[in-house]
Amino acid sequence: MSNFNFVPQPVLGDFKHESKGVSIVEQTKLAIVSVACPNDGDEALVASVQNAFACSLPDVSSVEVSNSGPYNGNVRWLGLQPQQWFVLFEQSAEQSAPLTVIKDQLGDTAYCTDQSDSWVSLEVSGPLAINALERICPIDLHLAVFPVGTVARTSMEHLSVIITRTGEDQFLMMSAASSADSFLHAITQSVRNITA
Amino acid sequence: MKKVKVLNQICIELHHMIINHPLLGPRDAAEFVYLGDASLINRPDASGDNAAQTFYQYLYLRDNPAGEHKELWYHEQGDRSWLVVTRNTLTHEISNVEMARDVARAAGGST
Repeated sequence: MSNFNFVPQPVLGDFKHESKGVSIVEQTKLAIVSVACPNDGDEALVASVQNAFACSLPDVSSVEVSNSGPYNGNVRWLGLQPQQWFVLFEQSAEQSAPLTVIKDQLGDTAYCTDQSDSWVSLEVSGPLAINALERICPIDLHLAVFPVGTVARTSMEHLSVIITRTGEDQFLMMSAASSADSFLHAITQSVRNITA
Repeated sequence: MKKVKVLNQICIELHHMIINHPLLGPRDAAEFVYLGDASLINRPDASGDNAAQTFYQYLYLRDNPAGEHKELWYHEQGDRSWLVVTRNTLTHEISNVEMARDVARAAGGST
């Protein structure tokens, strides 16, 4: 019997692009776990997140970064909709599965789903990043309106996209892995339009 | 020919419509899906004696006001919430936006 040995591949083949003022880098080690709050379980979930990650649960549109717990406190909580969050952290091959990492901490206080393989993540950064994004993103990305630590779910070129500002000139964008090529095309084309 | 022109005008206006989401702030109407009259929240009691009659009314009988209209919109390309939008059907002016969950709870719903 054959002994298969599967090796995970990045959705866009570890894509990197550097042009004057903008760089696009695929985030290949990002683990994503969806966390939802059970009915009437708000208090228990707030307590378990505070206990395990030393951070509060962000409101919709906000991001909280954990100050302790697994992965050296480098866990980001994205408030996507009422009672639901995406938990993001860097994952290496030796560590346990993303779902186990979060589930071990939250136990029965939350409903958790591993979303890591369903999304493609791109970091778009540089002084001209906002110029490229303003052409395809219907959200106002001005620093005063959309500061660091803000997240929004919207659509760009008909594709569903989650966008969060990770630095003054730095954005993390996630879209469905199944349409990753179209998503990449939308962004690279917009970058080309302002840099060409 | 005249009808086509009118339809185009309506499409253009809808395209530029902004819905002021209670949690997220102003969002383009293109992110939303329209369902219909907000009275759809008030689902009749299926075990009631006159269930057939009340469901007939619930499903098929609608007010069609020229003016203020409460309607359900779903934020599909956003936070997936249902909203109750009060919109003037003559001008498209939106005078109020509420979370459908809050409206349902205020009316004694459990969701």
